[in-house]
Amino acid sequence: MFWRMVGGALFRQRGKMMMIAVTIALGASLSTAMLNVMLDVGDKVNQELKTYGANINVAPKGASLLSDLYSVQDEDPAASAVSDTYLKESELGNIKTIFWAFNIVDFTPYLEARVLLSVPDSPVIQLTGTWFSRELALPTGETLRTGMKNMKNWWDVSGEWISDEDTDSAMIGSLLAQRYGIKTGDRVTVSLDGRSARLRVAGVFSAGGDEDEQLYVPLRAVQDLTGRAGQVSRVEVSALTTPDNELSRRAAQNPKSLSIKEWETWYCTAYVSAICYQIDEVLTDSVSKPIRQVAESEGAILEKTQLLMLLITLLSLAGSALGISNLVTASIMERSRELGLLKAVGANSAPIAGIVLAEILITGALGGIAGYFIGFGFAQVIGHSVFGAAIDMKPMVAPMVAVLALAVTLAGSLPAIRYMLSLRPAEVLHGR
Amino acid sequence: MNLLELNGVSKVYGSIYALRNIDLAVERGEWLAIMGPSGSGKTTMMNIVGGMDKPSSGTVILDGVDISKESAKNLTAIRRDKIGLIFQQFHLINYLSALENVMVAQYYHSLPDEKEALEALERVGLQDRAKHLPSQLSGGEQQRVCIARALINYPALILADEPTGNLDETNEGIVMDIFKQLHRDGSTIIVVTHDPEVAEEAQRTVVLEHGKVARIVAANGEAAAYYEK
Repeated sequence: MFWRMVGGALFRQRGKMMMIAVTIALGASLSTAMLNVMLDVGDKVNQELKTYGANINVAPKGASLLSDLYSVQDEDPAASAVSDTYLKESELGNIKTIFWAFNIVDFTPYLEARVLLSVPDSPVIQLTGTWFSRELALPTGETLRTGMKNMKNWWDVSGEWISDEDTDSAMIGSLLAQRYGIKTGDRVTVSLDGRSARLRVAGVFSAGGDEDEQLYVPLRAVQDLTGRAGQVSRVEVSALTTPDNELSRRAAQNPKSLSIKEWETWYCTAYVSAICYQIDEVLTDSVSKPIRQVAESEGAILEKTQLLMLLITLLSLAGSALGISNLVTASIMERSRELGLLKAVGANSAPIAGIVLAEILITGALGGIAGYFIGFGFAQVIGHSVFGAAIDMKPMVAPMVAVLALAVTLAGSLPAIRYMLSLRPAEVLHGR
Repeated sequence: MNLLELNGVSKVYGSIYALRNIDLAVERGEWLAIMGPSGSGKTTMMNIVGGMDKPSSGTVILDGVDISKESAKNLTAIRRDKIGLIFQQFHLINYLSALENVMVAQYYHSLPDEKEALEALERVGLQDRAKHLPSQLSGGEQQRVCIARALINYPALILADEPTGNLDETNEGIVMDIFKQLHRDGSTIIVVTHDPEVAEEAQRTVVLEHGKVARIVAANGEAAAYYEK
């Protein structure tokens, strides 16, 4: 009889119940979309931000000490060039063997030298050697292509990127090129301590920073010019990281201050400090430091994006609750005579509330299930239009949406249930 | 022996007396009619006797229990166990069949029993219409379903509010025949009505005016009692 009454009421009020289901479906779909995107957005936003450069700078221990002593900021990583200590180029592949290897998106080494440029006035400029697009054989047997071309893909290059084998070519910063009237295809000579190299300008780049005053060449060209074969002065690493929290900040100051459990949590989470620690474990005498501005901006953007999505989720759920409240109250008022009759023939409030709740929960479940799948579709639309990639279906979202849909349905139904409980049969059946 | 006793029952809405100091006793097996013009307090009295409202003062003793002081929960139980309600507007649940409408009262009383519900419909001559929805029944048939629902739990008191008010002459006759049969079977019946012909069938008629018992008339037309207005 209970289910006959529930089924009958659902069928008779199918229009209204459909509206309730649609309202719940809307709330559930937005929640599903936002929660899926929110849980996946960390990686997606990180990947987006990683296209704007490195977030970790690795320097030799001595250079780092000098940097600390003279308060040279991380934002000027080339400061390590003043040091006479170097990292080993042969060890760089180890970076892709750390615990968070898959989070290392790109890395590239640098070796800087102050050289004379063969133009009128013979100015001293910075010559930077680096990898442009280097294929690297990893200790794991895999190969990796990494370098400037991936890490600095926002550079505006006129001409072409040079290859790592082309040690006679160079890319020149736009300000330097403009100052001395150097164009693509020109040849320039740089010299250092009696040694010189004649270079063809393959491209002019505009990076919007100090790089625009420099000349970039393959790493081996600077190593040959300076006589520092197999050495690099610093490495920039682009890694996918988790936003910092109190634990990571404490660890960054002194990992030894953590308890064993805290240390394990920190080490096994992709905090930038944990990745720095792990890089230092595989590179001899190295000190890795997050480029704070970048790391903190990433964290802030990520947190704000997630907060925005959480707010949209909460607002959509609140909107759904209000909609459900109106619809269910209207439905109960419409059925007040029927419910009053049930009370008149001896039904207590609880069984009547049970019937009404069963109707609403069945409707809510149908709306919630439909909303979940629609929401997953929304998430894909957001993923493709904003991040250009699919959003993974997070298994934890389904129970979260179920709980949220249930809570919203019940919260939205509360005013109607209260109204129903206060119904007096004499009033609804006899008008007094 | 009295099934129902009203002692000094008044009901006040703000400063208006819907009922004023009513004293009335109804014996077991008696058929009582309550008459009076609109606003005389008939429906208020029915609500109080039927446990759907409480008096502002006075006591209502039903089957030995003072229901005027009972909680809403206990009143629900009293309605369920002791009272069969029949309404002018039938108040059937329109998505349930005639049989299911009868079984609803069983469901909240004890356990739904389809055979017993069919027997109740048979008593009102509707065994062939058991599977029909209210919308497929005539007004008279709907009222008979309402009566079957009121009878299904064998109530001590059948309380009918204008049971023929919405019926044509033929259906009125059918319904009145059912009431007569119930009375012959020993049921206690209180019928609130505007219709003198319906009231004539009762053993006594209580006439209410301005919330007071104006007079009580016996079936033979003689005044059983007289109250000053």
